[in-house]
Amino acid sequence: MSRIFWSIVGKELISFIRSWQLVLVVLYMFTMEVYIAGSGIEINPRNVAVGYVDDTAGGLSQKILTHLHGPEFLSPHRFNSQAELSRAIFDKEIIVGLVFDEDFEKKWRQNKRAQLDILMDATAASQAYTTLNYLQHIVLDISKVNIPVDIVTHKLFNQNADNHTFMALTELLSIITMLSIILTAVVFVREKEQGTWDLMLLMPVNPKVIILAKSFSQIIVVMSGIVISLGFIVLGIFNVPLNGSLSAFLLLSFFFVFAGSGIGLFIAAVARDVMQVAQLSIVIMMPLIFLSGAWTPIYAMHPVLQYVSLISPLRYYIEGSESIFYRGTEWIDLWPYFLGVIAVSGIMYLIGFRKIGRLF
Amino acid sequence: MRKGILKAYILKEMSELLRSRLIIMVYLLPTMLMLLFGYGIRMEVTHARIAIIDNDQSRLSNLLVSKFEHSKYFNTTTTVMNESEALRKIKQAQSDAIIIIPASFEKRLLKGQSTQIGVYVDAAFPSRGSTIESYVQGVILNAAAGLIPNATKGSIEINQRTLFNQAMRDEDAIVPGLIGLVLLVAPAIIAALLIVKEKERGTIFNFYASPLSKAEFIAAKLIPVFLLHSLNIFILLLWALYLFEVPFRGSFWIYWVASELYILVSISIGILISVITKTQIVAVVLTVMVTIIPGFMYSGIIMPISSMVGMSRYEAHLFPVMYYNHILYDVFLVGEGLASEKTQLYLVILALYGIIFLSLGTLLLRKEIK
Repeated sequence: MSRIFWSIVGKELISFIRSWQLVLVVLYMFTMEVYIAGSGIEINPRNVAVGYVDDTAGGLSQKILTHLHGPEFLSPHRFNSQAELSRAIFDKEIIVGLVFDEDFEKKWRQNKRAQLDILMDATAASQAYTTLNYLQHIVLDISKVNIPVDIVTHKLFNQNADNHTFMALTELLSIITMLSIILTAVVFVREKEQGTWDLMLLMPVNPKVIILAKSFSQIIVVMSGIVISLGFIVLGIFNVPLNGSLSAFLLLSFFFVFAGSGIGLFIAAVARDVMQVAQLSIVIMMPLIFLSGAWTPIYAMHPVLQYVSLISPLRYYIEGSESIFYRGTEWIDLWPYFLGVIAVSGIMYLIGFRKIGRLF
Repeated sequence: MRKGILKAYILKEMSELLRSRLIIMVYLLPTMLMLLFGYGIRMEVTHARIAIIDNDQSRLSNLLVSKFEHSKYFNTTTTVMNESEALRKIKQAQSDAIIIIPASFEKRLLKGQSTQIGVYVDAAFPSRGSTIESYVQGVILNAAAGLIPNATKGSIEINQRTLFNQAMRDEDAIVPGLIGLVLLVAPAIIAALLIVKEKERGTIFNFYASPLSKAEFIAAKLIPVFLLHSLNIFILLLWALYLFEVPFRGSFWIYWVASELYILVSISIGILISVITKTQIVAVVLTVMVTIIPGFMYSGIIMPISSMVGMSRYEAHLFPVMYYNHILYDVFLVGEGLASEKTQLYLVILALYGIIFLSLGTLLLRKEIK
């Protein structure tokens, strides 16, 4: 029996490699896509575009402005009038505008209350908030109000809050989800579409073995992709800190890919052609990825979605991977993630398996 | 273009689309994405789980703790656990930050000596970590400034005015961008399979043998999807206005025209992919790659375009979603409309994208057996 199993796996792997366009796209996803996401995207409030209008002689205002520097701020851009500044904010070229009016410095020198006007584009709320907080610091600093409280901050696990490593990892996890679902679904649906499904029914082989072998072959493809991506991009180029155990991550990935493959089986059972596979996988994948906690923490979502996310295997997988990579959580504390992934993926694979098994 | 043939082909395509189960998806997919993301994505950090270890238990430290307790940004628990226990909580992802108030906090403050507050933030999720950090600092600084008498004398007061989104609602900031994402993904994914499907099944030979020209073929493929999706422009607008209660300050006409143009662009991206790929699976994966990721990352939802530097800035300008989103945010939140030169320019750019992608698709399409 195991000979049959392995020969089907081998056949599927060969037919995967033969389709060079597919091999290329999959390789691209696991390498370049992870690289681009990791190197290009910065969600932190960085490089905030600041503009200012300065009607004072420029002592105090310049002192404030010199505090606004990289990496948080682009160098402040001077505007000649308030109207010009507003236009730039309306055109979204500037996020925060500072207005130093004529008697700003005079009042300050006379020990009166000086007022600094700030215009903020609040659609970029987190940037605006951070900038405001930063300005508050500067102003307190300059006004020599002695606040005897020192805030000593430690950013744990990622001292510089480096976003690159994080984005690369998140992107990899999303790609694993997408490909494990789509590849498995297509392997089965293609047989339906091309009519080779009927040939399969005639084979004197237990259909269970066929399903297992076919889905297992795609799991192998995705797992190899993970290893390549980890080796070359995630650990190689980005040097993502690996505070926990690599084998824990690989094991967790393996169970997770099973879940994806189960979803793929389910889609394959329902869909009639690749077009429907595409539609269905997007309908399932997008919520899975974006509601997994990778972008918004689960506890900040709408309560209904919080419950829905309990059945998402990606939720456990992402949190578990973050813990393994960054928090360096020990094996013993990882059990909720393993339990979550195994339970959900077991159920999903079983549902998919039975659903497609009925077609035999 | 010959009208009769074109009309017949369009009718054929339309009935094929309508007959498949897929037609539900044309309307289900955009709405579903809109609802899920509209409720699911929060850029603002609220309910951050903060554990305060108050070693002082004095009036001043209580005052500080209550500032945290009354902030909508934090879910505060005050405990007397030791630091390593608290650290373990963070490692188990059950806590986002720990604030440690030292035992001599009040005493030192009253004597005018400086005192330190320790803040430990979980930065495994870096952007959330930084935001939480700045919120925590903001609360502490505010509290401290309130404690100091005569602080207003000779000081600088910050007078802030928030534009466009005065209430700082997340919905207002995200929902318009979502329309840009949804209208990029949904039409493209359908269009991407239209031609490659025929290639894989062999029905493309009908086209090779027919008197239909390449441009007519593309038009016949494009128009049905375009018409079907045009309705989505209004459906999504209704969700935005009545479900998420996003204000609408601009002109409806600009919204409509820009959206139709944008759908044309996203369909032509799909068709271009359909022309260059050989198998449906490749077309699907490729479309997901060029629409979902830029639609989310380079659209200005997560990060303002003005803050991008280097490669990501070029990439943002390369994808059409940025231009459309600018117009969308203008129409919903700003209301400048055509008075802004940037809006005018971006409309033209969107039209150019449509023309370029369509001509490329037509050019690369083959009408003979290789």
